[in-house]
Amino acid sequence: MVQYDKDDKKQVVPLSELKPGEKGQIAYLQAKGKNQMQKLLSIGVIPGMSVLLVQRFPSYVFKLGHTQFAVDKELASSIHVKPVK
Amino acid sequence: MLRDFVKNIGYDDPLEICLSELEALLQYNYRISKRSAALLLLQEDPEMFELVRKNEAERAEKIFSIIEKIKPHYSYPLAYIISERRQREASRIAAAVTTVGKKGSLGIKEALSRAMMNPFIGGPILLAVMYYGLYKFVGNFGAGVVVDFLEDKVFDQHLNPVFIDVVNRFVPYPVLRDLIAGDYGILTLGFRYAFAIVLPIVATFFFAFAIIEDSGYLPRLAMLVDQIFKKIGLSGRAVIPLVLGLGCSTMATMVTRTLPTKRERIIATFLLALAIPCSAQMGVILALLESRPLGLIIWLSVIVGVFMIVGFLASKIMPGELPSFYMEIPPLRFPQPSNVLRKTWSRMKWYFLEVLPLFMLASVLIWVGKITGVFGFLVRLLEHPVRWIGLPSESAVAFLFGFFRRDYGAAGLYDLKTQGLLNGNQLVVACVTLTLFLPCIAQLLMNIKERGMRVGVAMSVFILFFSFGTGWLVYVALNLLGLNL
Repeated sequence: MVQYDKDDKKQVVPLSELKPGEKGQIAYLQAKGKNQMQKLLSIGVIPGMSVLLVQRFPSYVFKLGHTQFAVDKELASSIHVKPVK
Repeated sequence: MLRDFVKNIGYDDPLEICLSELEALLQYNYRISKRSAALLLLQEDPEMFELVRKNEAERAEKIFSIIEKIKPHYSYPLAYIISERRQREASRIAAAVTTVGKKGSLGIKEALSRAMMNPFIGGPILLAVMYYGLYKFVGNFGAGVVVDFLEDKVFDQHLNPVFIDVVNRFVPYPVLRDLIAGDYGILTLGFRYAFAIVLPIVATFFFAFAIIEDSGYLPRLAMLVDQIFKKIGLSGRAVIPLVLGLGCSTMATMVTRTLPTKRERIIATFLLALAIPCSAQMGVILALLESRPLGLIIWLSVIVGVFMIVGFLASKIMPGELPSFYMEIPPLRFPQPSNVLRKTWSRMKWYFLEVLPLFMLASVLIWVGKITGVFGFLVRLLEHPVRWIGLPSESAVAFLFGFFRRDYGAAGLYDLKTQGLLNGNQLVVACVTLTLFLPCIAQLLMNIKERGMRVGVAMSVFILFFSFGTGWLVYVALNLLGLNL
């Protein structure tokens, strides 16, 4: 289980706030509706996975495992990650 | 080593207890294991809920209450907990059996992929794909070289004279001769349009589309246009049916099923019906405006403008969930020739089985309509709006044909142009109006099938008025500006 304690949450930022080339480990998801959450889970956006942000504009592109995904700003900000140096 | 990988993924105690309770209660045969069925229930799969409600009779209530009881044990939705557990197991297995080589520099594919997704380089790449793929290959080669050859050489010089000769010799009744080989005959018109004009155009389009599709370019295009598409109530995902609509809007309307919300499906269907010209129609339009680059630019600007404005208004009016965008970006691949050919062939077959009977039917309907006078009446009715937009009355026939198939109508205009009946301004007005005009009968039926009678008919009525309205505006604007194209 990934830990969700309060201290952890403080260092955690939405994926949309990383810069291109920065890495992070997914901490938790905070999607608007159940559908959005399901979409993210179905493409494998799951706590514990590491992501690499590839680009921010015109859409957010990130690398997850060996796959690249494009999402809009709303979905990108619902993925909360802990930046990894 | 394999024994390290348990067959079932174990969950923590509360979830496991709940699973065994559910498994005991599930009696119906769902063709999957009881554990899988129970897991689907815990993930709140709507289809599974429906099946349980239908098949488990009095046990259903008990099942649902067990699910409700377990939820408060966790601070996250169960789907989330289950996915996370599975992901951990999958990663563990993957890590145990794979080794990842060190990757050097980005490589040419990755560089090309980044370029396609770059907002500044991606635009010119899109224009290049459109110019070479659509304009040069489909427009100039398919609709130009191949159509000219089949029309002039094969049909006009060889086949049609044979048809007419044979029919004259063996069919004694002039009425029947007209049906088979007259001006609008099944062989001389329906068959000729289908084979000589439409076939080369859709074949070249489907070929180009298959190459683009297999290369992995479309998802990159989707992420590039997502923000623009949001303005018209769609997400980047809609780029796939809309680009396919440039080939055959009827097929594309079917493909709108891949869009996630009803709202997106309705807007996409509507835009396909109104502002996306299909390949056959576009081929003829490119041929009509061939020597008039300014006319082509005006036609394109009007259609793009209508697409954006109507899309924007539709997104303001339509209620429902706002679209969200997520898409996998697969690696770029060099398209396999055998795959490309197979795809092109199967799409052409689908299209042809659908189009050829309709062309024949159109010929028959026109024949019946001419004999009974219905056709003449409809043409006279259409002559009014046609004259309002400054076109010769003769083009009313092309608009009526246009309903049987949009490309059929465009081809009718092509005949008028060859006879020198249309000047530059009239050609542009006619192309704009015909592009926006009612979709072909096949697409109308598809709209009704996919979107329901009410929406399908409402769209068509709107399009009927809107197309002539826009045509009139273009006509007036050209006159006011004193342009002679």
